[in-house]
Amino acid sequence: MQRADVGCSDRASSTANETVQWTVSQSEDCLSESEYRAADRGEVRSSLCKAPSTWTQCKTLLGKDLKAEFRTKDMIVSMGIYAFLVIVVFGVALSFARPGSEFLEVSGGLLWALVVFTSLLGLNRSFAKETENGCLEGLLLAPLDRGVIFLAKATANLVFLLVVEVVAVPLYWVFFSSFAAPADTGWLLVVPLLLGSVGIAGIGTMLSTITAATRGKDVMLALLFVPVVFPLLYACVSATTCALVGGDVFADGFATSLALAGGYDVIMILASWVLYDFVVN
Amino acid sequence: MSDKKLKLPEVGQWPDKLVAPALIAGAVLSTVGFLMAFFYVAPVGGATVNGAELIGDVMVSQKMLLSQKIFYFHMPVAITSFIALGFGCYYAVRFLMTKNQRFDTCSRICLEIALLFVALTMITGEMWTRFEWGVWWSWEPRLTTYLILMLIVIAYFVLRSSVDEPERRGTFAAVVTIIATIDVPICFMITRLIPSSIHPVVLREGGMSPEMGLCVGLCALGMLCVGFVLYRARFNQVRLTQRVEALKETLDDERA
Amino acid sequence: MNPILADIYSTILPSAPYIIAAYALLWVALLVYVLVVFRGTKKAEAQLMLLEEAVADRAAKGE
Repeated sequence: MQRADVGCSDRASSTANETVQWTVSQSEDCLSESEYRAADRGEVRSSLCKAPSTWTQCKTLLGKDLKAEFRTKDMIVSMGIYAFLVIVVFGVALSFARPGSEFLEVSGGLLWALVVFTSLLGLNRSFAKETENGCLEGLLLAPLDRGVIFLAKATANLVFLLVVEVVAVPLYWVFFSSFAAPADTGWLLVVPLLLGSVGIAGIGTMLSTITAATRGKDVMLALLFVPVVFPLLYACVSATTCALVGGDVFADGFATSLALAGGYDVIMILASWVLYDFVVN
Repeated sequence: MSDKKLKLPEVGQWPDKLVAPALIAGAVLSTVGFLMAFFYVAPVGGATVNGAELIGDVMVSQKMLLSQKIFYFHMPVAITSFIALGFGCYYAVRFLMTKNQRFDTCSRICLEIALLFVALTMITGEMWTRFEWGVWWSWEPRLTTYLILMLIVIAYFVLRSSVDEPERRGTFAAVVTIIATIDVPICFMITRLIPSSIHPVVLREGGMSPEMGLCVGLCALGMLCVGFVLYRARFNQVRLTQRVEALKETLDDERA
Repeated sequence: MNPILADIYSTILPSAPYIIAAYALLWVALLVYVLVVFRGTKKAEAQLMLLEEAVADRAAKGE
């Protein structure tokens, strides 16, 4: 078991190194033959050495994170198991609740509690992996815009979170559908889930980068993450509850809540993107 | 940065000249505000009673609310805490631009003052809530926002204590300050615009009478002066401590 | 006292403790902060004095 683990982390770190090399080599790939000749003749080389586009950089970094994860699968598996355990705890907590339509008003909130706890676990580990095998130094040495690192990392976190949600949310309904059936508009909870996950991944990546360099990372992340993400959570719980309850409640608050959640996402991700430059150095 | 020499906040610059007048103004204004709140401004009416009675020369048909008097200090304290947070954010931006530890110190002290005044807001608000609504806590937008603000500022100080390297600590602290300053207004807007069905938003609107406005204004000015004096006093102390530490280090180096 | 007047004034006495507590806690908290700052300044000044003495001692020895 121990051996296997070592192998895994080795492979992960080799992916990281590959990426850095790749980023560097790509900048040479994009030179055409004539440009090479021009460079040989001693002309200004730096102007010809075009860096790969931001999009390519972002894609490469994201690919690296996803590749490392799908080789080891440790983060998704642990997040999934954790989500399941939280569901079990909810089961205990609700074991004396009477089934009824009131449950619908609570279930949106419970679902978000599940998402928050699971994402906290994932965010905690997302950056630990980078610092453990020295991948971060490699990334910082590469001629990359820090914002690109942020976007790639946030997207990777978003993907993991969504994968776990795809499993955990249906599971949640399997376990608790005996309480009350959601309204017809129930399927619309996908929209707040998506918006919420985007916001959580964005601001969470930023905060986990900060806390990865502190003592007592896990507690620190929770301490910062929960209050900062509170407004988003509030809006998302509201939208989810609206979707589940349906009827007048749905018409009243769904659109407003979603608009506010979207606004939070945009502002916070922009802020994190700008500030990431300072944090990661 | 530019070639121009960076002007750092330091003890003895022009703000220190304002400390004595501000202290006097703060003491006078808050005393006057306090006295006005109880003896000058008419009490606010609450629920209507059956009938009316002549008190002085006005007909009164509502219950008089003494508890509302808390408001005359509650709101100024809240305003002061927001302004302190704003200055903290300003210094945080300056720190990120210059990476000079002095701005980090200023930002930290601003947040300390903000935490103090947020705590005061919570205390006074709590007393009012407890009497008016009979509960210690209700998820009302303003209360929630202040709770979140308090939690973030506390997290800020925990974060500071868990990073040793000064430059990194300053950067992280500055980033968290900026995020907090963005987050708090959003939090207020969201909790305000999405009415919670379980706990209805308690609205106590109806505007302020001119006397009330005057009283709140005086108290707010007084509290701002008090906040400013506290900031300068703390800044003095922290700078003194820093200079003593620096001196100790040079002496140690010389001895070695 | 007539009942209407009693009703008008009915919330004043019960609310008094809360108001007093609010104002008292407000000023106590401010006072505590001032004391903390004051003590810190005192301590720093005392240390400064010690340092000055140490420097003076060394200067005397060096001569």
